[in-house]
Amino acid sequence: MSKILKVCSLATALLITSPFAQAEENFMSWLIDFGRTKEVKPVTNMQYQKECGDCHLAYQPGLLPSKSWAKLLTPEALEDHFGDNAELDPATLTTIYDYAMENAADKSFYKRSRKIAVATEAGEPPLRIIEVRYIKRKHKDIPEEMVKGNKDVKSLSQCNRCHTQAEKGIYDEDTVRIPNYPDWDD
Amino acid sequence: MKCYLRSIYIAASLCLAASPGMVHAAGNGQQIEIPSVSDTYTKGSKSYLLALNDAATPSQNQANETQAAQPAEFEPPLFSGSNAHKYLGLGTLALVVATAIAPKPAEVEGAAPTQAQLDEQNSSAHAKLGRAAATLAAATAMSGLLTHWDDFHLEDGWSDPDNLHALLGTAGALAMLAAVNQAPAGGHAGVGMAGGVGMAIAIKLTW
Repeated sequence: MSKILKVCSLATALLITSPFAQAEENFMSWLIDFGRTKEVKPVTNMQYQKECGDCHLAYQPGLLPSKSWAKLLTPEALEDHFGDNAELDPATLTTIYDYAMENAADKSFYKRSRKIAVATEAGEPPLRIIEVRYIKRKHKDIPEEMVKGNKDVKSLSQCNRCHTQAEKGIYDEDTVRIPNYPDWDD
Repeated sequence: MKCYLRSIYIAASLCLAASPGMVHAAGNGQQIEIPSVSDTYTKGSKSYLLALNDAATPSQNQANETQAAQPAEFEPPLFSGSNAHKYLGLGTLALVVATAIAPKPAEVEGAAPTQAQLDEQNSSAHAKLGRAAATLAAATAMSGLLTHWDDFHLEDGWSDPDNLHALLGTAGALAMLAAVNQAPAGGHAGVGMAGGVGMAIAIKLTW
């Protein structure tokens, strides 16, 4: 019986000290939830989806840490949002800012977000998802001709060109299809 | 022998269960929508200026030009290394539970066991299930190494979920192998259970 107690204690200690438990979400709900959380939490806020999705894929907040969103979602930053004016009225900006902050990578227990949070803990906050060390590494072996030289992709920032379920927050390799390279396999 | 074969059949069934696409689809917990057909987003559209060189920015932002792409029809493969690894791991857990609840022969303590006692130990359902679980655990660790070799990076530290998963999963598999090696001597149960728990936590961390 003492062995069982020891094993249970070890398991409890491991779970409690895991990075998931330390994320600012409900640990118990994560523990008893058997739904899959290995990807990135899909966007659930309609306003976020509409405002961001009007111009580009509404990138899930879990793809960047909160310190990145804090830099990106200010009135000044949105005036020059990667070359575009993406200004929002204050009420909308507040809603989007709050949603992004609450669901940022470092607040999420979704696995891929946790990896992004770990990869961005130190140093300057990345302003582009593709600047995240983890994301960079995942794409480093893809030949340039399949991205920049691919007329149907052009850039790694166009996630949903290859990640066929990007809008649902699913980025695993099984759902990748590079346009014009149907036989590609990592 | 019959019992041993039965445990092998269970293990094989669990492995086969790894392949069906419906299992994969259910695992995502979301309805899979087939992306709509579109090859119309190219053809010289200026929207791609947004993407040039990743760091480039468009001089204009015309919403209708930069809308999200609509990938052509695509269905995830029915069988993949990743799926196989997942179901091997789940199969291992199922066998660990089966091993724990299977009837056990009395442990041999003190004096050296007779050949008859050893035969009885080795042919018990518990022993066969334990061996099957340890074998499946080793297969899980190997398949993880093969299919996810590029997901482990020590520079991310041990708080990285994949690093932790690999560490706990490998330790769990080794503990199970050690337990099988140690059996039927007393004390192997704790090691085996620790292995099972390690694998369970590894799975939960990346589920």
